Amino acid sequence: MMREDRIRRMPMALSALVALALAVLPVPAVLRAFRPDFLVLVVFFWSIESPRAGGLTLAFMAGLALDVIQGVVLGQHALALTLMAAWATHLRLRLRVFSILSQCLTIFALLTGYQFVLFWIDGATGNPVTAFGRWLAPVIGALLWPLLSAILGRVHER
Amino acid sequence: MVAFRNTDPAGRTTGLLLRCILYSLLALCLIIVDKRYDHLGKIRRVLSVVAYPVQIAVASPFEGWDWFRESVTTRDVLRADKAKLEGELRVAQFRLQRYEALEAESQRLRALRDSTAAVTDRFVIGNIMDLDLDPFRERVLVDKGAQDGVFVGQAVLDSGGVFGQVARVGQLTAEVILLSDATHAIPVQVNRNGLRTVAVGTGDMARLKLPYLPTSADVVAGDLLVTSGLGGGFPAGYPVGTVAEVKRDPAASLAEVNVKPAAALDRSRELMFVWLKAAPATPAAPAAPAAPAAATATPPAPAKAAAPQAHGQ
Repeated sequence: MMREDRIRRMPMALSALVALALAVLPVPAVLRAFRPDFLVLVVFFWSIESPRAGGLTLAFMAGLALDVIQGVVLGQHALALTLMAAWATHLRLRLRVFSILSQCLTIFALLTGYQFVLFWIDGATGNPVTAFGRWLAPVIGALLWPLLSAILGRVHER
Repeated sequence: MVAFRNTDPAGRTTGLLLRCILYSLLALCLIIVDKRYDHLGKIRRVLSVVAYPVQIAVASPFEGWDWFRESVTTRDVLRADKAKLEGELRVAQFRLQRYEALEAESQRLRALRDSTAAVTDRFVIGNIMDLDLDPFRERVLVDKGAQDGVFVGQAVLDSGGVFGQVARVGQLTAEVILLSDATHAIPVQVNRNGLRTVAVGTGDMARLKLPYLPTSADVVAGDLLVTSGLGGGFPAGYPVGTVAEVKRDPAASLAEVNVKPAAALDRSRELMFVWLKAAPATPAAPAAPAAPAAATATPPAPAKAAAPQAHGQ
């Protein structure tokens, strides 16, 4: 049992680490607004695929890591990710039988919810980012979902 | 208690809800404590050390590539660079010749007028780490932190002028908020006539604005803006930018002034962290009659500058 757990957590931690690196990878300034929330997508994937391996703990930790690495209010991403990962876990049985299109739409809704929580906390803590660009990330993220879930699915199978 | 037992593999839904609420509450507490009180500085510092390997891992390939490119540059390029740098150095030295004398003179004159500004004490050079932080905030991560004595609010310059100030300090790294961040403001002065105002960031690295100048203000395109040193955060007299355009709408009460920053906000790799020397205190007794005038002319001086320090340096 322990052993099985460990095997399952390794790809989870690794993919989260890679996604975290992708979140701060330098890209040309014009592309910055188009960067999808890789780490969020990875957390969603593991929340849907194997929620028992600690989806919410992963979500909270990943959020905290994002807070530290991006230098925003501590707990901001953690809160948003926890809420949305819980929602994703709640929807997981339905998501698995959805068509690709409906999956993407659901992920889009989750990502938008995530951005909304961030937006709300930004506003509440007194440094709102009203740039329209921030609502682009959910669109790109949802479009990327089929590819990402296929890749992570492969990783998971191994 | 029942809910706790249900977090075990048997019943997941209750466990999910409970854990979601627990984690959310924890996150909310973190947000409130981090925002309202300053207790989390230590925790954040420790966490930033944990994040450091990731940051290094992401930044190092790009730095490695830069290093590689540098190490394969040709002799000709290096020679051209050397000639250019020598030329620049000559000009800089020429300009510097009288600087010491002028600064001393300026300090003396300012002391006479009872308005001694803080002067810079020492510098530390830091390198910007090749990382993208939040895409909608103008911030950079620099490889100097609390262990080098960097502190929150510290002024940061680059070779062109004022770059920004330290927003957050980790043990090994510091986050610098750029002048152009939409939430950043810096007290400035028009170099030509001493007009004081505040330069505010726009979120665009190529542009600052002066939102608080009346249409009648004496400011024209091409004016140099320097730090006024008011507020105590920044050393006085460093270039902030040049006025790019002034729009005066007769119907509006405020002019629209755009400023081009003097620092290369999007290109600089090396930044200078500045420590200010506390301003030499002025004799307290004879200052009494001058005080009201000073109070009306300037915003409240920072407590730091007014601290009763020893005379002289």
